[in-house]
Amino acid sequence: MKQKSSNRRNFLKLGFAAGATALIASGGSVLSAFSDPEDKETGEKMKLLTPEGKLVEVDKGHICCQPAGNLEARQGLPNKKMVMVIDLAKCRNARKCLEGCQSMHNLPPHMEWIKFYLLRDSPDLSPYWFPKPCLHCNNPPCVKVCPVGATFKRTDGIVLIDNDRCIGCKFCMAACPYSSRVFNWEEPKIAKSNHQAPYSPETSSPPKVGTVSKCDFCPDMVRKGELPTCVTSCPNGVYYYGDKNEDAVTNGTDTVRFSELIESRAAYRFMEELGTEPSVYYLPAVDRAFDYKVGFEGLSEEEISLYKTEAKITE
Amino acid sequence: MYEDEKTQQNLYAFKPQLEKMDKKGIALIVFLLMVIGFGMFALYTQIVEGHIVTGMRDNVVWGLYIVNFIFFIGISYAGALISGILHLLRVPWRTPIIRMAEMITVISTMIGPTYILLCIGRLDRLPNLLLFGRIQSPIIWDVIAITTYLSGSIIFLYLAMIRDLAILRDNPVKNARWRNPIYRFLSVRYKDTTKQKELLNVSTDLLSIVIIPLAILVHSVLAWIFGMTLRPGWHSTIFAPYFVIAAVYSGTGVLIVVMWVFRKIYHLESQITKIHFNYLGIIMIILGAMYGYFTFSEYLTSWYGSIKWDMEVLYRLFNPSQYWHLFVFAVFIGVLLPIIIVTVPKFRNINSIAFAASIAVLALWVKRYLIIIPTLESPLLPLHDLRPEYVHYSPTWVEWALTFAGIALFILLFYLFSKFIPIIPVVRSGEEKDYSRLRKIVFEKQMKKVIKQNKKNAIASTGVIILFLLMSSSVAMAQDENKIQPVLKLEYFNVDSVTKLNATLRTKKDGRFSPMPGMEIDFTLLHGNSPKSIGKAITNAKGIVSLPVPADVLSGGGEKGVFTFGASFAGKDNFEKASAGTSMKPLHLEMSFFQKEGEKMVSLKALEAGINNQWTPVDNLDVMLYVPRTFSLLKVGKVTIANGSATLEFPTTVPGNQLGYLTLLAKVEDNEVYGNVEASGTINWGKPLPPEKIIIRGLGDTNAPLWMVYTLIVLLSLVWFHYMYVIFTVFRIRHLGKS
Repeated sequence: MKQKSSNRRNFLKLGFAAGATALIASGGSVLSAFSDPEDKETGEKMKLLTPEGKLVEVDKGHICCQPAGNLEARQGLPNKKMVMVIDLAKCRNARKCLEGCQSMHNLPPHMEWIKFYLLRDSPDLSPYWFPKPCLHCNNPPCVKVCPVGATFKRTDGIVLIDNDRCIGCKFCMAACPYSSRVFNWEEPKIAKSNHQAPYSPETSSPPKVGTVSKCDFCPDMVRKGELPTCVTSCPNGVYYYGDKNEDAVTNGTDTVRFSELIESRAAYRFMEELGTEPSVYYLPAVDRAFDYKVGFEGLSEEEISLYKTEAKITE
Repeated sequence: MYEDEKTQQNLYAFKPQLEKMDKKGIALIVFLLMVIGFGMFALYTQIVEGHIVTGMRDNVVWGLYIVNFIFFIGISYAGALISGILHLLRVPWRTPIIRMAEMITVISTMIGPTYILLCIGRLDRLPNLLLFGRIQSPIIWDVIAITTYLSGSIIFLYLAMIRDLAILRDNPVKNARWRNPIYRFLSVRYKDTTKQKELLNVSTDLLSIVIIPLAILVHSVLAWIFGMTLRPGWHSTIFAPYFVIAAVYSGTGVLIVVMWVFRKIYHLESQITKIHFNYLGIIMIILGAMYGYFTFSEYLTSWYGSIKWDMEVLYRLFNPSQYWHLFVFAVFIGVLLPIIIVTVPKFRNINSIAFAASIAVLALWVKRYLIIIPTLESPLLPLHDLRPEYVHYSPTWVEWALTFAGIALFILLFYLFSKFIPIIPVVRSGEEKDYSRLRKIVFEKQMKKVIKQNKKNAIASTGVIILFLLMSSSVAMAQDENKIQPVLKLEYFNVDSVTKLNATLRTKKDGRFSPMPGMEIDFTLLHGNSPKSIGKAITNAKGIVSLPVPADVLSGGGEKGVFTFGASFAGKDNFEKASAGTSMKPLHLEMSFFQKEGEKMVSLKALEAGINNQWTPVDNLDVMLYVPRTFSLLKVGKVTIANGSATLEFPTTVPGNQLGYLTLLAKVEDNEVYGNVEASGTINWGKPLPPEKIIIRGLGDTNAPLWMVYTLIVLLSLVWFHYMYVIFTVFRIRHLGKS
C-alpha cells in the first residue's frame, strides 16, 4: 500500500513537476510505463505536455483519483495560479452555486461557503447581488495569524485548511475581513456513506468538529482538470474559473482570455484597499441581465426584509 | 535571626492565620468549590457537545472567555508593576501590600490562560503549538510571553518569600506539621548573613527590573492579538499601550479590593492602614485618568475619521438599545467615580476607596467585553444571517458558569495561599477529601442526567431514520415499475488522423441528463444495407464510450467516400434499448508551422476522401483554432480553408509552458459532412511562463522573517538569562548557609 502511494506520488512529481500544462481528454492506449494493475483506471485519458513540448498520454486514474495527503496538499499545483472572475451583471441570487457546493463538500445546510449579499454602496446607487466565496488572498490575513500553520497559502494561489492540524482557536476567523470562514461548532451531521472517503485538505471532506472550514477553490477538481461545482451549477454563467498563468478562464460554456476579460469589463477586487490581494475578481454590475428584485424569488419574507434593510431599500 | 521586636510582633500577629481555620473560612471554601464544580460540569458539557453550547458563533467567534482572559492577565499587573516599581523606588510603605500584589500576579497569570484554552475547539491538538508553532502568529507570541511572565512572577514571589520562610523554619507551625519540612526546604538555609542578604537583594532588584518591561510586553502582545487584525475597533496603533494602562488600572483596583478583604478577615488594621489605601487610591486614579485619556483619544480619532466600519462599531457603542449603558458604565462611571471618591477629602475613606476600586475593576471587565463583542458583531460585510444567535452574542450558562468558576478559583487559591505562606496560615488537610467527594457527587448526578438525555435522543433519532428508510425504499420500488428510455448519442471524431467513434449513453429526466456507466454499446458500420459489427465497448463513469475505428474498415471505401456508422444499446434491467447513427466522409486535416519574414505562421491542410480513396483538396471549410487550457479549450482563431489550405498568424501572446511550448488545436466541429476532425501541433512559440517566485520567509509563509526570529531569540535569552542567574543565586545562598 505504501509502495503504491509512493509510486503514484513519484509519478505526480514526474508528470506535474515536469510542468504539464495541457490536459486534453481523448482516447488512446494506456502508457505501459505508468500502468499499475492495482491502481484505479478510469478509462479516461489525459494528455500532458512535458516542458520539452512532448505530449504524453496517461489514464486519469493514475494522477487524480486519490485525494491528496495532508502534506502533499501543501504543495500547490506547479506553475498554476488559480483565479476566479465573478460577473455581477449576471447574478440573480439563484444560489445554485451554493447548493452544488454544499452537496459536493458534504456541508450541513446552514454551513455556507458562498455567501450572498445585496450590496448598495450608497443610497443613490442601485443595489446588486454579490456572491462571495473565499477570496483566496495573495496576502492572506488568516494565514498570517494561524499559530500552527493549519491554514496555508499554496504556490498556485489557493488558501487551504488542514483540518487534521487545526486547533480551533478561530483566530483566522477573527482575522478574515471578508467573513469567509465558518466553524464546525458541533459534530457535523453528514450522511454516513460520505464518511468513507479519506480526509484531504484538497477536498475539505469530511468536515471535522472543532475546526474551521471555508471555500477551498476545489483543487481536487483542478487536479482532474474539472471545474468546481459552483462554476458548473450556476445557471447564468456568473463564475469564471481558470489559471492566470494560462491566461484563460471559463464558466463552463465560454472560455475567454483572462487578461482581456478583466480589462474589457473593468474588473476590480473586493476591498482592494485592505491590501489582501484577492484572487477573485469582480466584474461590475453594468448592463445587468436581471433586475435585482428577481433575486428575491424563492426567499422568505423575513429574508427579503433583511436584505432590504441591509441595502437600505425603502418601498 | 530576626530577633528584633518588630518581627517578633508580626510573627505573633500573623501566626494564628496560618494555624487557625474558622467556620467561615470552611464555608467559603465549600462554596467556592461548589462554584468551581459547577464550572467543571459546564466544561464537561462543552467538551462533550462541542462549542455549540456556548454563545459563540461564526461572527462572534470569541466571547466571555476572551474577556476573562484579558481581564485576568490585566489584573496580574498588580504584582508585576506595582510591586516591581514600589520595590525599585524603595517606597517605605510597600512592605505589607507587596506580597498580596505578587500573589495576585501569580494566581491570575495561572487562571487567565485557561480561558484561552476554553476558546479552543480541539484541546486534544494543543501539542501542535509546539510541533508546528509559527512565530508569525500573535497567539504564539502570547504563549511564549505568558509562560515567561508566569515563570518570572513565580521566581519573584519566591524571592520575596525567602525571609518569611526562614522565620517559619525557625518558628515551626503547631498544626499541619507537614508544612515545616517544606518551609525548611524552601528557605534554602537562609540565615540573613551579610553575604546572603546582599545576594538576595541583588537578585530581587534584578528581577523587578526584568519583570516590568516583561509585564508591559505581555499585555502588549495580548493587545496585538486584536490589533493585528483588520477589524474596526481593534486595528489601532495605540492598542498596546491602551491595554497596558487599562491592565495596571484594573490591577491596582484588584489590589485595593484584596487589601480591604484581608484587612477585614485577618484583622490587619494595624498593618494595612489608611495610608496604603490613600496612596494606592491616588496611583489608581492617575492610572484611571490615563485610561480615560486613551479611551477618549481612541474613540475621538475613529469618530473624527469616520471610516464606515469604525462608525458602525461606534454606532453600536453609542446606541441606547445596544451597548450605550454598558459603555457609560465602563468609560464614564468607571473613570469618574473613582476620581471623585479619591480626590474629594469628604468621600475619601478606606471603605469608599475599596468601593471605588471594585467599581473600577468591574468597569474594566465590562470595557473588555465592549472591546471584543461589538467589533465582532460588526464585520466589514453586512452580517447577513436569519439566526439571531449568529447576529447578536449572548453568553450561555456554560460561559457564565466557567466565568464564575474562574473567579471562585482565584479567590480559593488566594485563600489557600494565604494559609500556606508567611503572613498567613493553611487549610487542615482533612477537609479536602470532603470537598472532593462533594464535587464528585454533584458531577456524577449531572453526568447521569446527560447520559439519560442522550439515550432519549438516540432512540428518537433512530426511529426517524428507520421511518425515512422505509419511505425512501417504497419510493424506489414504485419507480421500478416504469421502464426508462435512455438517450444514445453517436459522434465521429478524427484526432490527429486517428478515427474513433464516441457514444454517449444517458438518461434524461426533467431536462437533466444523468450518465449510465457500465453499459455495453455495439458499434456497426452500415455498408449498403447490411450492418457490419466493428466492435463492442463498455461505457465509463460518464456514460461515454469511445471506439477507435480500425484502419481496414475505412480503407474499404464508402459510397462516394461516405461512411455510415451505427451504435446500439440492447437494453438492460429496466432500461429500454436505444440506438443512434451518424454519417461522415473521412477528412484529412494537417497542421504545420513555418516562419515567413520573421512572422510566425500556422499552416493548415485539409483533404477529403473522394471516390476510390483519392484524396482531394477541400474548399470553403471553417476551422476553429484552440489552445487547450486546464478546464477547457481557449478559442484563439477561426480560418476558412480554401483550395485545401489556409494560413494564419501564430497566437504568440498566449502563454505556453516555462519554455514557451504551446499546443495548438485545429478543429472542424460537428460538420454535416466530416463530423468532428481535429489536428494538433506543439511548438515553443508561446509566451514562456515566468519562473515561479519562491518566497521562503514571510508573515504568511512557513518560516518567519529573520528579524522576527532574531528579536525573539534576543528577548527570550535576555530574560531567561536573568532568571537563570537568579536561580543560581538562590543556590549560592543555600550553599553559603552551610557554613
